[in-house]
Amino acid sequence: MTLEPFGDSAWRVPLATCPDPRALLDALRSIPHVVDAVVAEEHALVAFDATCPPSREDVDAAVGRALGPVTRALGAEHTVPVRYDGPDLEEVARETRMTVHEVVVLHAESTYVVATVGFLPGFAYLRGLDARLVLPRRSTPRARVPALAVGIAGPYAGIYPFASPGGWHLLGTAVGFTPFDARTGATLALGDRVRFVPVPP
Amino acid sequence: MVQDAGRPGHMHEGVPPGGALVPELLARANAAARNAPGAAGIESFGALSLEAREDTLVAFDDGTARPLSAGASLTIACEGARVRYVAVRGGIGVPELLGGRGTLLVASLGGHEGRALRRGDVLRAGDAPGVDAAMPAAPDLAAPVRVVPGPDHRRFPDEALDLLLSSSFVVDARSDRVGVRLAGPALPRLGSDSGASSPMVRGAIQVPPSGMAVVLGPDHPTTGGYPVLATVIARDFGSLAARPPGARVRFVTQP
Repeated sequence: MTLEPFGDSAWRVPLATCPDPRALLDALRSIPHVVDAVVAEEHALVAFDATCPPSREDVDAAVGRALGPVTRALGAEHTVPVRYDGPDLEEVARETRMTVHEVVVLHAESTYVVATVGFLPGFAYLRGLDARLVLPRRSTPRARVPALAVGIAGPYAGIYPFASPGGWHLLGTAVGFTPFDARTGATLALGDRVRFVPVPP
Repeated sequence: MVQDAGRPGHMHEGVPPGGALVPELLARANAAARNAPGAAGIESFGALSLEAREDTLVAFDDGTARPLSAGASLTIACEGARVRYVAVRGGIGVPELLGGRGTLLVASLGGHEGRALRRGDVLRAGDAPGVDAAMPAAPDLAAPVRVVPGPDHRRFPDEALDLLLSSSFVVDARSDRVGVRLAGPALPRLGSDSGASSPMVRGAIQVPPSGMAVVLGPDHPTTGGYPVLATVIARDFGSLAARPPGARVRFVTQP
């Protein structure tokens, strides 16, 4: 296993494939002296105190176990009501040569899986977007995307937990959903499943 | 704003490590207040005036402390420093959320109401018992900053690292807790940024398409798509982050 030094307080692990990212995350977080672990699609990371690193063998073993044959446990399932009132609906329909109604149906029909948590606290990169909705990011990012905006970019769908600059195409607004709570943290965890349910404007 | 030793253990939820921009300076103010090194204090980027509601002990990152009696006030200016820290005996008593008391602006989390302090805010001192610790050294703002090369070697031509290590950079005024922006020669890259986002760490020297390096700070996004040419070692980050806009920076590889 390659452990790439990332400064003196972290190692990065390239992931060719990762059948169960959640199992890998849980395994890495449970290693003694690992302070933080992140699993994204191409790399995992373990962070530690430079004066007290974990054992490389422990990290190797955790990665080896998680990349081997696994019985994949299904993550928690979340239903997110969405008001499809996004400013980019018509542009997305035009660029995908569909009607706005077809875009909404396709977006709400899929079951998504949390592939990475990052960028903002509680922001989940959701895999499972219908291939017909895959578009590059907006050429000019918005200076401010409002909190709870539901967007798509490339192969991902996502929900902005907080107002932030952003380059995603905005399809709607999540209703009655809290992506991040100051006491309990992120609502969506790696491997969780998400369904969007259209609600009337 | 209120800052402490950060919120370790939540990066998998997208929560950056946080913590004082210059941990050594917060630790110095805390040592002078007989607080633990990572107790919550005030991180100030401008002039700060404080008025005591009750008798208290106030301490500063120059290692001094002074009693402040009820009704008395004092003003601290940055005076050419990037940032200054003020501690009070017992620490700042804001609630602990997700393992930390510091302010994370992007998520309106922690500190005083999740935001920077404003005129008229009232903060309570905590009641942590006093500890005696040696005064930590202040960071050396003229020392070369030590880096570990990589991890994205393959996304740069060989000359990029040579250029990083042989050039002098200048701290840009747009620097903040998310990143220290550096002005200097444009660092060349290979390929585009079309890949998936990867995990990031404080100290990562990210190179966007402009070639102008950004060293990620304590409130960095936990994942990012720009390649990382080298990474500042943990104990040198404070020396970089404490440099005011216009200050010079040179990088060396960690011996």
